[in-house]
Amino acid sequence: MASDKELSDFLKSIEKRAFKRVAYAVRDDDAALDIVQDSMIRLAEKYIDRPAAEFPLVFQRILSNATMDWFRRQKVRNAVVRNFSEYESSSDDGDFDLLETLASQDESSATESASESVSRAQILLAIDGEVAKLPARQREAFLLRYWEELDVAETASVMGCSEGSVKTHCSRAVHALANALKAKGIEL
Amino acid sequence: MNHTNLRTYAPAELDALEARLALRMTARLTEHAADLPQDVSERLRFAREQALERARAARKAEVAEPTVVVGSGSTLSLGRGGEGGASWWVQVASVLPLIALLAGLVFIQRLHNDSQISAAAEIDASLLADDLPPSAYSDPGFVEFLKAPLD
Repeated sequence: MASDKELSDFLKSIEKRAFKRVAYAVRDDDAALDIVQDSMIRLAEKYIDRPAAEFPLVFQRILSNATMDWFRRQKVRNAVVRNFSEYESSSDDGDFDLLETLASQDESSATESASESVSRAQILLAIDGEVAKLPARQREAFLLRYWEELDVAETASVMGCSEGSVKTHCSRAVHALANALKAKGIEL
Repeated sequence: MNHTNLRTYAPAELDALEARLALRMTARLTEHAADLPQDVSERLRFAREQALERARAARKAEVAEPTVVVGSGSTLSLGRGGEGGASWWVQVASVLPLIALLAGLVFIQRLHNDSQISAAAEIDASLLADDLPPSAYSDPGFVEFLKAPLD
């Protein structure tokens, strides 16, 4: 059974990411805060007897379910379905070289020039905006896999899809983000 | 079109590139998320505290639950007579209307049978006490006689 401190540390470590993840999906800060709070409470009430190591996966699952419940309550299922169909058409990045976005990784001077042209805050804002623009499933896969650092199998179990789908969503999301950032002159 | 810059990657190489790029992006996202507005941070802190309170309450309930079971067991063994007596009376009281209903139905049935028997007995007695023999009623000529007008 997890202690209060373990639970508190865990919640503290994920609360901001959880809020951002839900806010990307529901596009309403107040609703996102409510969903995060409900999820935290559900974790505390129902899963406090689980070891703390299980919290990340369980919490992500609770958060995903709570977000879906919110969508159901809001009766915006049509919007979700529309988002689902969006990733069918996201195959227009065939002539895009992923390495171009990373090309400057060993060239500090090039990185410097990018930093000079666009302020750091603007870069952060741009990345935030581009993540928000991703189709829902791609964004969810990307955030769970790389931000929450779940592995492919865990991401698939949270999203309720196959591991192959997770890989496809993640790959498309990374390409779409890299493409969009490159178009803005941002190199990472 | 920059087809000239295109490279083909082995799947493993592509995966590694994607992962590296994705981790750089999420590092920026983390940096951005750290600068949430004060009110949002406060709401999140409040939510965390609420969750911790609920966790404490859930733990207390779990600890208290076995005691309640033991306590209720002893209470039952001590108070069985009183509670058992009360429940016996409740059971009797709930069955009484049903018994009354059944008794009423039996009484009505018997009353009905008695009245039918006495009616049949009266008919029989009047037939037997009459001047006409009972077989006369089944005689077609007698029926015609009854229908004929009196002169």
